[in-house]
Amino acid sequence: MMTDVVAPVARLSARGLTRHFTTRVPGRILAAKRVTRAVEDVSLDLVAGRVTAVVGESGSGKSVLARMLARIVTPTSGELFLEGNAIALRARRTLDYAAQVQLVLQDPFASMNPVHPVRHSLERPLLIHGAHKAEVDELARSVLARVALDPPDRFLDRYPHELSGGQLQRVSIARALCVQPSVLLADEPISMLDVSVRLGILNLLKGLADHERLAILYITHDIASARYLADETIVMYAGQVVERSPGTVLIDEPAHPYTQLLIASVPDPSGAARVDRGAGESRPFVRAEEGCAFALRCPHATSRCRHECPPAFVIGEGHVSRCWLHADQAPASSDLATPGRQREGEATKT
Amino acid sequence: MSTSRVDVGDRLERHGATPARESTPSARAFVLEVSDLSVHYGVDANMVRAVHDVTLNVRRSTVLGVAGESGSGKSTLVYALTRLLRAPGVISGGQAILNVSSPDDPTQVTPVNLTTASERELRRVRWSHVSIVLQSALNALNPVRRIGREFDEVLRTHRRSLSRSDRRRRAAELLALVGLEPDRLDRFPHELSGGQRQRTMIALALALDPELVVMDEPTTALDVVTQREIITELAELRSRFGFAMIFITHDLSLLVELADEIVVMYAGSIVERANAGELYAAPRHPYTLGLLESFPPLHGERRELTGIAGSPPDLAAESVGCSFAPRCPFAMDRCRAESPPLAPLGDTGRSVACWLHTEHSVVPVPAPLARRWTVPSGPAAPGVSR
Ligand SMILES: Nc1ncnc2c1ncn2[C@@H]1O[C@H](COP(=O)(O)OP(=O)(O)OP(=O)(O)O)[C@@H](O)[C@H]1O
Ligand SMILES: Nc1ncnc2c1ncn2[C@@H]1O[C@H](COP(=O)(O)OP(=O)(O)OP(=O)(O)O)[C@@H](O)[C@H]1O
Ligand code: SF4
Ligand code: SF4
Ligand SMILES: [Mg+2]
Ligand SMILES: [Mg+2]
Repeated sequence: MMTDVVAPVARLSARGLTRHFTTRVPGRILAAKRVTRAVEDVSLDLVAGRVTAVVGESGSGKSVLARMLARIVTPTSGELFLEGNAIALRARRTLDYAAQVQLVLQDPFASMNPVHPVRHSLERPLLIHGAHKAEVDELARSVLARVALDPPDRFLDRYPHELSGGQLQRVSIARALCVQPSVLLADEPISMLDVSVRLGILNLLKGLADHERLAILYITHDIASARYLADETIVMYAGQVVERSPGTVLIDEPAHPYTQLLIASVPDPSGAARVDRGAGESRPFVRAEEGCAFALRCPHATSRCRHECPPAFVIGEGHVSRCWLHADQAPASSDLATPGRQREGEATKT
Repeated sequence: MSTSRVDVGDRLERHGATPARESTPSARAFVLEVSDLSVHYGVDANMVRAVHDVTLNVRRSTVLGVAGESGSGKSTLVYALTRLLRAPGVISGGQAILNVSSPDDPTQVTPVNLTTASERELRRVRWSHVSIVLQSALNALNPVRRIGREFDEVLRTHRRSLSRSDRRRRAAELLALVGLEPDRLDRFPHELSGGQRQRTMIALALALDPELVVMDEPTTALDVVTQREIITELAELRSRFGFAMIFITHDLSLLVELADEIVVMYAGSIVERANAGELYAAPRHPYTLGLLESFPPLHGERRELTGIAGSPPDLAAESVGCSFAPRCPFAMDRCRAESPPLAPLGDTGRSVACWLHTEHSVVPVPAPLARRWTVPSGPAAPGVSR
């Protein structure tokens, strides 16, 4: 469809992002080389005012994806577009890119420097990004207010060990916000925090998307928290996107066997709508060498699954599943349109 | 063996405890009886009252869940009752009685006072009768020792009659119980994933067929799929071997699924105790309600949740009144003046520490804390709605 009149402009787009790691496996006689396909061919659009949730278990490639988006890790292949402009991935990350795209990490204790007070953590990036000495104090105060650390005076001169985990995570979000980014990448921002403060951080992220129009990537292995926030949901397994949908469609009606397993695994005291537990009889995180990456754990696997890697099939409006079970549906020709090139005549193919 | 039982009894007598000549009904019913246990860290002005007057019983072959946010004293409680507490931690009152049953005749029960037991007695009951999987279990395995040696050590000290190859066979059996291949015995901890290491710790805890297994957040560091696998395995193992379990986690929704009975801790005290299904469907303490509302649901309308405002109290400061009052949406004047005791709630068999539920309370109980609840068929049947 060409009538993308109201199609929102993506702040940050990734196309075919891939990262392989080569590690040496010491063997008895010869060291063998093993290639870890950490992220394979991932495309996504981070749009102003929207939360894109990426869900997957440990080792599925979520952090590597976030670090490629933040340009801390260089992709093996693929493209990035900031506000529609292609980024030269071999070149060094520019200061402007760093200011536009900010990453918040899982462990607030590890990501804050323990020997400096909060003030230092906020003022330093401001100075690096060209703020005047005279204004940094005011800017630091205002950004603390944005993350609901009120009054700022109570927090500016405290050291990390004097704050609770939830407060510290707010400070690290404040630090990311102080350079006025348009994209916030949050890599498991609540998984190390106490239950009682998690919702506060989720509500803060939601507010930043709703009221300040930030484009937010929310990475988690907790699918219920993704459901709470997401405007788009992406499920990753072994580096690949296996299912994606607008909103939380895929959580309410999971199509891919892996998504079904994820959902069946969530503690659910209400016991409602328990999905087939058969998929849970699995052993450590394994990835089939050929065919579908999930085949070794999948209760529906056939011999086709073990030999041929399934393409993505369109199973609903914007709802895509990479599974042979949906082979009767149209294949998703190419995931997403290439940004910035439409003018050159390469319109969306879907 | 009966000789060893007499042995334990003799020593207990010296400590002033009475050994049960005839097992009392309560000793037979409960594997663990904790009364008024208090623990503090440090002294004087910096003293942290981490556990305060905790009383709880663990019925044989059931799961007692302990929930509460970080710092509420969950780990301290289990360290104290298994006597693993290290300085500056001190048990300042109360006791924990482990009712050890004889392997030959399970109706013969000998109480062992864990709070006063000597190191030798503790060595006798640890692993064999009570075992514990610690919160930091992911790092609890010695990094320079192969997995097999951990098993060998436990079996060698407690099962002297086993030969080396018997021990090896038994270790492999134990790993099989938790779904691990025997070749893992030759691996080092860093060669296993987090989930595999956690399974190894569970297998080790079950090595001597204990009556009580204490698990402190065994799955918190793992992702949901691995957590689900381990929980399912634990349930199977429990129905096979019949051990009782104390399961600690901050994840109340996980506990509701897993536990028979739940105690909720806040600032070192138990604030509510109830059957799991009942606690979920009809919480009575405002803190329990807040905890339950802190988890976004997987089903139903998406709506904004607020969780619990504020943060837990500083346990080093002397407090007056209900410790939850500063965060409680229902706090009254009385709450700020007097601390509510954990008291039975009518004849429901559950207890709550909150002034809203006292008989003479003039304030009506707020609707969310007065939900009706009907008895389900099973002993712990979660999923009863409204
Ligand atoms: N620098 C590296 N060298 C080699 N392999 C790596 C490197 N970084 C990541 N990997 C591998 O890439 C895969 C994906 O890792 P990643 O950290 O992205 O997972 P994740 O989804 O973030 O997991 P978690 O939920 O545990 O954080 C893993 O198999 C990991 O071992
Ligand atoms: N060695 C210590 N010295 C002083 N205070 C301590 C010590 N260990 C624990 N505490 C304090 O005792 C209280 C209870 O801690 P505990 O570890 O039992 O909590 P928890 O409920 O297990 O929390 P978590 O969920 O974080 O594991 C906390 O306030 C903690 O700060
Ligand atoms: S393609 Fe086959 S193995 Fe892969 S998820 Fe679908 S059914 Fe399972
Ligand atoms: S006693 Fe008062 S402050 Fe404490 S939980 Fe009950 S209502 Fe709230
Ligand atoms: Mg990660
Ligand atoms: Mg603990």
